[in-house]
Amino acid sequence: MIQLSRNYSLPEKKEDDLAIKIVGVGGAGANALDRIVLDGMEHAEMIVVNTDVQSLASSVATQKVQIGRVATRGLGAGGDPELGFNAAQESADELRETLQGARMVFVCAGLGGGTGSGAAPCIAQMARESGALVLAFATLPFAFEGKRRTAQAMEALRELQRVSDAVVCFENDRMGDIVLPKAGIHQAFAVADTTISQSVRAIVNVVRRPGLIQIGFDELLSALRSQNSRCLFGFGESDSDNRAHEALALALKNPLMDRGKMLTDARHILVQISGGPGMTLTEVEIVMRELGRHVEDHTQILFGTSVDGKMGNRLSVTLISSLSAEGEVAPALPLRAAKEIASEPPPPIEPVAIQPVTEDATPVVPMMEAPATELEEIAPPAAEIAPPAPVRKERKPVPPREPQIAPVPAPLPVKPPPAKKENFFQARQEVMQFEPITRGRFEKSEPTIVEGQDLDVPTYLRKNVRVK
Amino acid sequence: MASSNLMVGLEIGTSKICVVVGEGKPDGTIKILGVGQAPSRGVRKGEIVDFETAMKCVHEAVVDAEEKSDIMIRSVYIGITGAHIQSFNNRGCVRVSEDHEEIDEQDIEDVKINAREVSIPAPNAFLHSIIQHYHVDGQDGVLNPIGMLGQKLEADFHIIHGVRTRIQNTIRCVKELPLDVEDVVFTPFAAAQVVLTQHQKNLGALVIDVGGGTTDYVLYVDGAVKQSGVLAVGGDHITNDISMGLRIPMTRAEKLKVEEGSTVLGNCLPGETVLLKDDSGFAGKEVERETLNTIIHMRLRETFELLKRRLEDEPFLDYLGEGIFITGGCSQLNGIDHLAEDVFGIPARASHARTMSGLTSAFENPQFSAAIGLIKYAQAVQGDRQQRGRFGRFIGKFFNGMR
Repeated sequence: MIQLSRNYSLPEKKEDDLAIKIVGVGGAGANALDRIVLDGMEHAEMIVVNTDVQSLASSVATQKVQIGRVATRGLGAGGDPELGFNAAQESADELRETLQGARMVFVCAGLGGGTGSGAAPCIAQMARESGALVLAFATLPFAFEGKRRTAQAMEALRELQRVSDAVVCFENDRMGDIVLPKAGIHQAFAVADTTISQSVRAIVNVVRRPGLIQIGFDELLSALRSQNSRCLFGFGESDSDNRAHEALALALKNPLMDRGKMLTDARHILVQISGGPGMTLTEVEIVMRELGRHVEDHTQILFGTSVDGKMGNRLSVTLISSLSAEGEVAPALPLRAAKEIASEPPPPIEPVAIQPVTEDATPVVPMMEAPATELEEIAPPAAEIAPPAPVRKERKPVPPREPQIAPVPAPLPVKPPPAKKENFFQARQEVMQFEPITRGRFEKSEPTIVEGQDLDVPTYLRKNVRVK
Repeated sequence: MASSNLMVGLEIGTSKICVVVGEGKPDGTIKILGVGQAPSRGVRKGEIVDFETAMKCVHEAVVDAEEKSDIMIRSVYIGITGAHIQSFNNRGCVRVSEDHEEIDEQDIEDVKINAREVSIPAPNAFLHSIIQHYHVDGQDGVLNPIGMLGQKLEADFHIIHGVRTRIQNTIRCVKELPLDVEDVVFTPFAAAQVVLTQHQKNLGALVIDVGGGTTDYVLYVDGAVKQSGVLAVGGDHITNDISMGLRIPMTRAEKLKVEEGSTVLGNCLPGETVLLKDDSGFAGKEVERETLNTIIHMRLRETFELLKRRLEDEPFLDYLGEGIFITGGCSQLNGIDHLAEDVFGIPARASHARTMSGLTSAFENPQFSAAIGLIKYAQAVQGDRQQRGRFGRFIGKFFNGMR
């Protein structure tokens, strides 16, 4: 415990080796990057990569890389991913040089076009090869942009998923949901960019802010990791009296959250609560308790909290999770296993990327257990198992962590996680109501008896509907 | 002349007492000059249970209206409701005397008296006899038989009656203030005058006034009242249900109902809550939205189902060309129109007083529908009186004017 906090409580020292680079690829990527820059991001280096010189010139990012000088001669990739790919290959050296030294690389790209679809996977792979952890933020085109474009985007998305550690995918069609139909098209696209910007910032903050309960890369990955996944992301910030409640409500309202309905299907949820020094334990508790109502009992909640003086009165809640597509049950892939699958192409570099992550992983487990579970029975085994074989044992602690929000003593070893329906309806015993039937306010007034029923008695009592 | 056109409607409701001052324009429109209101105490299910307290509240409301409209109120039209009020349809029949063949006003008065010659319980008194249609020598659907030739005059009336003493209690409460009572009107009937247009009455419509203590209804087909009545269940019951179900005080329950309540089920997030704020600054109580909505939904659905069963005694529900109009304070509950539509299988909408000018905020509030309706009623009756005055004769106050 103490060792761990030393590790973590000196983030300023580690700032340099935690270098984060955010790369915007293609037109959409550049727009998203501009938005991130304008919203303010202190900890990261911004790099815009494009084939189109004009777009590069207008970008506000600090570092600009023009790719495919020969292949495209400074024009765009013309919607051809092949051209985008060739351009990236052509400027591979320059790109590698730019990406050098990053611990974490965010690749933002709009898929479906030429540069984004072609170059983004390429860049993600280069970043991987240079030893960084790669998170891709991809926007999928609107359905009306045509099937061809959608197909290109899906192809690129698959490629991105293969080469990056996690992909956060924004569907433009869903962005439309939060923009009023009457709003201008600028506004619609601005919302998409803002959402990307928010999520990049949130993730950077999650891993960068010195946390009381820290969330590491590994947890971030396990929240985002699952094949063909679709990412759920929610961010809310509030400074009102009731800020805990409001921040969570806002986070749940995020378009990528589908009003919280999707949360019931999620297997892992990463929650990060940050606030100023005034943040109270009760507020954290309120958020976690309310969130607990939205998720199934077996969902694993990865919880982190941090105090940041800059937050002032505000309190922010960040929710990150992923859902596997097509109802496929995503196995809770342990970190190493997931990495191995994903990183087949650059095997030699692998250990470099993973090393720090796994180190972080082990100690964090007990730390998470301590505040979140009060189940004595479960905490010790997790702690015992964890130290000897850190990486492999990641697999084991996963199931015991599940009951964090379920006060059921020990039904765990028997219960396979996929059987969620069953354990949800399990053994709910009807409670008899012993209260006499009352008429409340109408106790002393003339009874209203219609069709043999005393209408002054609440309907739900007469019809035997349980309201609580 | 101007002063005689001033009309005041007073509704003693379960949740609030409301006084509307209006001015009738020569062109038949009404301008609302002021609305006075006071929270109601001592009234349960539309009837006075604590005379002294209720009187004080009425006085407050009247003073409020006087201040706002800058008019001295002398006489009022009062709305009346309560579980005791009942209604039925009856046909009266008279033979036109041999010496003249032309039907005149006397005959119409006679047929009305004849129609009333039915046994209503001894303690009851007639509140309204509303003409539906005349039949002259078997010819159906005559609207105005005066001047027609005929030997047998029949008339269908919708008769509304209630317990005499209970009606008198309300009248007394006002007279003690002292104010003159011009007339007593069954509230949904008043509300229908402003919620519906004549055209809508002709096409067929059902007005449901979901008030604080009672749910009143009146059904129009072919421009005539066919069914009406009171169900002594209203917004108070919803509040009471919430208060008991969530174990919170009545005042909080009322506030919760007004601010957060909805009749729509399944529209909330699982686990979505409403935070009840405490004035004293302590962390409030959390209430699950779905629970709240379930309680409201159950109560209103039951109320509508009971209403439907009552209305189904006669076949008029099938003739509603314009559908259902919901008014009264509770019509502001979110989704109540869809619920009514669901129960009755007829298009429904939440509605408020139309055909008015003046204080927009007043007539657009469905809470005031009945009180404003009283003025409309008064205008019709007064117009009728003047018209009849020319004949030097005064009969049936709301005879032709109100249908």
